[in-house]
This record gives sequence, C-alpha cells and structure tokens, in this order.
Amino acid sequence: MRQVRIVMVGDVDAGKSTILGRMLVDLGQVTPQRLAELESSSSKRGVPIEYSFLLDAFQLERDQAITLDISRIWLRMPERDYVFVDAPGHRELIRNLLTGASEVDAAILVVAVDEGITLQTRRQALFLQWFGFKELLVAVNKLDLASDAETEFARRKAEVRQFLEQLDIKPIDIVPVAAREGENIAAPAKRWPWWKGPTLLESLEALRPHAFHAGGPLRFVVQDVYRRGTNRLIAGRIESGTLRAGERVVFWPLQTDAVVTAIHRWPKEVPEAHAGDVVAISLDERVFVDRGAVASYAGDAPGMGHAIQATVVWLGSEPVAPGESLRLRIGTREVPVTLQRIDEVVDPDSLEGKPSDSLGKSDVAVVTLISRELIAADDDLDDTSIGKFVLMHGTNVVAGGRVRAVIGRPRSEGATDVVAQISSVHREERVRRNGHAGGVFWLTGLPSAGKSTVAMAVQRMLFDRGTHVYVLDGDTLRTTLNVDLGFSEEDRTENVRRTAAVAGVLADAGFVVISALISPFAADREKARAAYPESFYEIYVSCDLATAERRDVKGHYRRARLGEIQRFTGISSPYDVPEKPDLMLDTTRESIGESAARLMEFIEETTRRKLLLKS
Amino acid sequence: MLTATDSDLDALESRTIYILREAFSCVSPLAMLWSIGKDSTALLWMVRKAFLGDVPFPVVLLDTGMEFPEVYAFRDQLVRDWKLPAHNEVCPPENTVDPTLPPAARHAARKTAGLRALISRESYRGIILGIRRDEQAIRAKERIFSPRNADGSWDPRTQPPELWDFFPYEVPDGAHVRIHPLLHWTELDIWRYTRRENIPYVPLYLARNGMRYRSLGESNITTPIPSDAETLDDVIAELEKTREPERAGRAMDHESEDAFERLRTTGYM
Repeated sequence: MRQVRIVMVGDVDAGKSTILGRMLVDLGQVTPQRLAELESSSSKRGVPIEYSFLLDAFQLERDQAITLDISRIWLRMPERDYVFVDAPGHRELIRNLLTGASEVDAAILVVAVDEGITLQTRRQALFLQWFGFKELLVAVNKLDLASDAETEFARRKAEVRQFLEQLDIKPIDIVPVAAREGENIAAPAKRWPWWKGPTLLESLEALRPHAFHAGGPLRFVVQDVYRRGTNRLIAGRIESGTLRAGERVVFWPLQTDAVVTAIHRWPKEVPEAHAGDVVAISLDERVFVDRGAVASYAGDAPGMGHAIQATVVWLGSEPVAPGESLRLRIGTREVPVTLQRIDEVVDPDSLEGKPSDSLGKSDVAVVTLISRELIAADDDLDDTSIGKFVLMHGTNVVAGGRVRAVIGRPRSEGATDVVAQISSVHREERVRRNGHAGGVFWLTGLPSAGKSTVAMAVQRMLFDRGTHVYVLDGDTLRTTLNVDLGFSEEDRTENVRRTAAVAGVLADAGFVVISALISPFAADREKARAAYPESFYEIYVSCDLATAERRDVKGHYRRARLGEIQRFTGISSPYDVPEKPDLMLDTTRESIGESAARLMEFIEETTRRKLLLKS
Repeated sequence: MLTATDSDLDALESRTIYILREAFSCVSPLAMLWSIGKDSTALLWMVRKAFLGDVPFPVVLLDTGMEFPEVYAFRDQLVRDWKLPAHNEVCPPENTVDPTLPPAARHAARKTAGLRALISRESYRGIILGIRRDEQAIRAKERIFSPRNADGSWDPRTQPPELWDFFPYEVPDGAHVRIHPLLHWTELDIWRYTRRENIPYVPLYLARNGMRYRSLGESNITTPIPSDAETLDDVIAELEKTREPERAGRAMDHESEDAFERLRTTGYM
C-alpha cells in the first residue's frame, strides 16, 4: 500500500498544525504562490509566518490561532504518500478528534516540552487506546523554548514512556523537535549534537498502514437488496475473510441460509471476493435477507445475543444514566437498545476504572447494553470485523463503541443460551406422518375485508379433510398473547412479530397456520416471512374502503369516523397494499365462498405438492 | 512516487461504492451533481458499478450557460451512451446574487442559487457531489456525509462526528445532507482510475498547442496551463512531478483569502 494515514493528537497549542505546516514547507511541497498567501495571511494578523495556516483554513481558526475541525493534508514522498489528519486539541471538540482518529492507520502524539503530559493529553491517549492503537510515535515539541534542551527532553521522554506503559501502548519512537525553527522535522537538528536519533520525517517510515482483516472468519455485511426483474442481488461489503461462489452462507441474526451462486462486481463476475471488497451476490434460493444482516459460513458464526458488553466513548453533551433508550448502529443494522448498566468509568488521572451512575461528555467507560432484538456481533478486542458501533440518541451520535463480549442472554432473566437446539424429530418425519407440510398463510387486509371469515371457512374445510390446521386471529390474540399492545406503529410491529413467531412454531410442528391480522406495514410482513421462510405465503384480502366501511362488522369504522377510535387502519392510520402477494382474494367482487375455495386450493396445492417433492 | 497499484485503486473504488450504496439505502429522495468534469464523471462510472449498471437517481448539471462547448457536447454524448437520467438545471442570472462577492465568485454563487432552487423544488434530502479533500484547504475539512441547513448553508463548527463508516444520514425536514463519496481520492488517483477503467473525459484536459485545462470551470473564469501532455499517460506523468495546485487556474479561489470559505458556508459545492 502506498499510503499511510496518520492522526496528530495532543493538547491545544502543543504545535500539531505547526509541525505539519513546517514539514510541508521544508520538503518544498508548498508552492511559492501558496507561501506568499501564507505570509500575507500571517502579517495581516501581526504574526511571523504561521505554518499552521496551511491547515487551519477557516477564518476563525486563523483569527484565534487554534484548530477547530480536522483537516487532511497530503505529503508526497518517494516511497509512499502520507495523509496527515490534524485534529483539534480542545476538550470541547472531541467529536472532531474521534472522527479523525477513526479514519487513520497510525498516530503521532505531540507533547510540548514546557507542559508535558497534561490532563487533556492523558484523555486523548486514552481515546487512542480505546481505538485500539497498540503503538504510536511521540514528538516532544518546542525544544527551542528550553534552556537545557537535552536535559528537559530526557525528562519528558521518561515521563511519556512511563505514561504510555500504563496504557499498554508502545512508543515507536520519542523524537525531539522545534517546529517553528524547523529543528529535526525534515532536516536533522543543527543545534542538538546530542541527538543521534531520527528526524520526525525519518521516524514516519516505521508507521504501517492498516488493512482490512484478510484472514479471520467471513463477515459479509448486507447494505441493501436490489431487485432486477425476478433476480435479487444482495449488496454489501466483506469486512473480513473471503467469500466464495458456490459456498453456502448463513445470514444472521435470522439464520436463513443459501448457496452463493454468483459474486457480481459489475460489469463482471468474480469467483471470490476479499475483505474490503464491495460486491453484490446472487443466491440459489429466495430466502429472507435485508439490510443489516451479516453473512458467515456455517461453522464460523458471529456472537449472538440480546446483550453486549462494550467500551464506549461518550460524546453526547447531556449526561445519561442506566435505563436510557438509545439506538445501536452496528454493521449496517440498527436496533433499539437500553443502557442497562455502567460497569465502570475510566478516570483519566489514575487510568483506573471506577463505578459511576452516569456517563458524561468524553468519558471512556465499560457499559452493558440490552435489546429486545437479537444482535449479531464479534468481540472487537483484536480489531476484527463486526465489533465497532455507534449509539444514537434521536438523530445525534452520542457514543462510539467497541464490543467486548456478546452476552447470549434472552430478554427474560434465567435462560442463558440463545443457540437454537436441533430437534430430535426431523421436519420431514412430521410431514410424512401428517400427510402434508406445515406452512404459514398470512392474510392481510383492511378491517372488515373478510380475513377472519375466510380463514374460519377454510379452517373448517381443511380440518374436515384431516389437515392439522389452526387460525391465529388478530383480535383473539390481542386478548391473550398481545394483551399488552396498543395501536401505535411500534406496537403494531410487535404484534406482527409475536404472531409471526407463534405461526412459525406451529408451522414447524407441522400445522397449516392461517393468520388473520390487518398487519398494515409491508416491512413487518416481510419480516414475518422470516418466521417460516420455507413456506410462508402472503395472501392479500383485498376490499375497497367503501365496501369494508359499509360492512363494518364490529362498528369500528363508525367510531373511527367519530374520532372515538384513534389510529384506525384505513381511516387514521396507513395500510401498505402488498405489491406482490402470493395470492390475492378480492372480497369486493367475489363471495366469501369463492374466496375461501381459492384459498383452499392454494393451500392444498402448496402443502401437498411439497409433500410430493420431498418424499 | 510509486505507481498506484491496482489494489490501491480497488480499495478507493470499494470505499466510494460503499458510500454510494449507504446514501441510496438511507437517504431519499436523492440526486447527484454532475459537473461533466473528470471527478464527477469517474464518480458516475462508480455509480453504475454500485448499482450494477443502473443510475437510480437523477444526475444534474447546474448550468450557467457558460460551460465550454466541448463540455456540452461531451454531456450529450454520455447521456446517450450511458442512458443517464440527466437533468439540466438552469441557474438564475448574475444580477440575483450577492454583489459584494468578487466577480468570479459571483459565478459560483449563481450555481449555489441554482442548487438551492433545485433542492427546494424537488425536496431532495441528499445531494451527491464529487469533491475531493486534496483540491482545496477548506474542502480538506469536509465530512463524507455533511448535513446542511434548510438554506443550504454549512456550519463547519457543528459538524457531527463521523466514526468509522457510520454516516449521519438523518436530517430535519427541509434540510439536506451533502454526500461526498470521492473525498479520499487525489487528482492523480482519479486520472489513474480513469485510465484503468477507460472512462471517457472531456478532451480539454489534454494539451493542444502547448496548453491544457487541469480543472474545468466556466469558460470565462478558468484558464489553461502550459503543458505538453497530449495523452492521458502524459497527464499522469505531468501530475506526478508538479507542485502547482490543481485549482490554480480557477479565479474564484484566489480573489481574497476567505473567498472559498464564504462560497462554501453559503452552500457552494
């Protein structure tokens, strides 16, 4: 790799921008025109030539002589390019520092000889440790201010060494410089005969670029699913490992699996793709996959659980306490989480973890997060794949995080393992005994469209023919399983999720399940499919609003019109019409008997045909 | 300088495609600005790669009517060849923009006004742009996803954090996010990639009679540089040696110290 990206960190005024500006000027990488612009900007502000203005391009930065936001500058050398990311030293601007540190391969810590390791330096080094930097380069600056440069440098060097040892970070080199004078930046120091070590420029050669984790288990993170005619292309990035065409992969956390039939890098196809590659894949089967899924090989699954323990850096300006609701973004997935516990907060002075009941800005802490949804993640301690995340509060990023451990604990206390057990009775055995396959027939439609009526009619017919059949009726379930749910969007989503989970269990047990739920949101129905992807059918019970309202079996439409019922689907809450249902029953035009017969035929064909194919 | 290897260009390309797909998944409605220059044309090629041959959002030229004739001809040809969903947005006339700006910057302000009109008319929540960090010191401070206020303005002091590849794509109603998938590329990277992928480009970038354009702006505010680079290989060889900045021929960057910052904070690309 020809390019190394390096972040500059250190306290305000340690001279980070000046070091970079000076290096570029000394290496002749600044044009005479630019240099003249620099001189005029400096003299306008009554200062001698200010090298930092090369990076501090904002008017405000120049007027106040500080860096506000990160900047990047390219240094072109014969062997390779360096991209320097200059980060602000101010405590208030840590979001900018962290942004800079998250995009680089290496770090240079700048310490002013007259100030040494300040609290802010400690804090910044702590962030670097949190990012996973195991080594860094140190520049001790402003040696021109020291009366005895050799002695004072030796003192600071010992101090830095001891400090970094506490953080378990190795100093690649500790180099003396005087940026304003250009001493030991690009050219060897003229005034310090005692210094036999490298210039700052020479010491850069020891820095190594970061690479995607080429080894390691396959982690393919799904960004999107594109439809091209009847084909589905699953777009995403390989975070680690190698993806090969012809291999079977498992998509987490839903645990659907299929064989990769092609890897597309338009305009060509490739037999395999590696860490860092962004590709699209085709599968041999239509299994449910959506944005946020992570694919692995079967034997190499990521950790799965409802809780994670992680180290975080808090960026939010408001302090938070356990119980706070947040959103976790990991890979391309977003899940609601709760801050369950603050395990410890690191004290930047002593570098020791201490108990705390709240998190404040720029705290580095170990926390436990819990979620209702299953999270697929890897421990991020060795900087592999799906271990980095951010936490959102509303639309703001309030923390960066790295996973320490995925805790396989489900929502209720007590159970300890979420890995599905392999059943002692195989699905095919049930099919053989029952004489038909299980399946989920998911009826969706407006209130009073006729879902329950059709479902009950078909249940009777199937039962009479000896089929194991069960109807899951939305209204009935709301009196039992879903009694705690209302009609907000979240509750409707949860209502569908739970019902789908029950439908999946019954279908797995060999039942033909007919569910009759409004299930107004397309996204929820698509997720429901994952409860039993082998045999799930979306049946749209279509009825125009006027007809449904005229029927008004339960008197709900009238009350919704009067405003007595809020969030009533079709009146005051939206209904997503299915785009491509597996079957459509039009109860405006056909009788209940006709609709029931068509559904009956459809179920018979799918559940009995399956049997013929599989036995 | 070592030659960029294929794997370097692959890495740059993969990152850009990743960003484009994130934008398409998370931000809607979305449009891309296509200046017809080398950068946004290379970006357009990567859009086609990202979406397997498709361009799933409009590509817009902010037209001041002052582009070079070669630029318009190139546009028309590529729209046909690549079947692009192209849109020409005519910018408001010069007498509608801030008269205190230096003359060349007023031109840029027309584009800013055109962009603002486009965004408000189409309610775009995301605008994809082919700017690079190595072009200009103010652009070096940009984020990949950069939220803008409802009037298109940029407040660099309140840029949200952008950790790893978690881009802030949510903006309040009326505001939008600028998406910059080429920030990490350099001018040389773009030309090397253009050569490798055989991407078409406006012929003005090549020298004729000892002069060529290194950066293409409006015809009346962009000047050519002395050059013998008559082929793409020559251009790359020239750039490997030069110290001159790319935008030296762009008048609007140099009229006053804060010219470019003022342009950008008010919504320029």
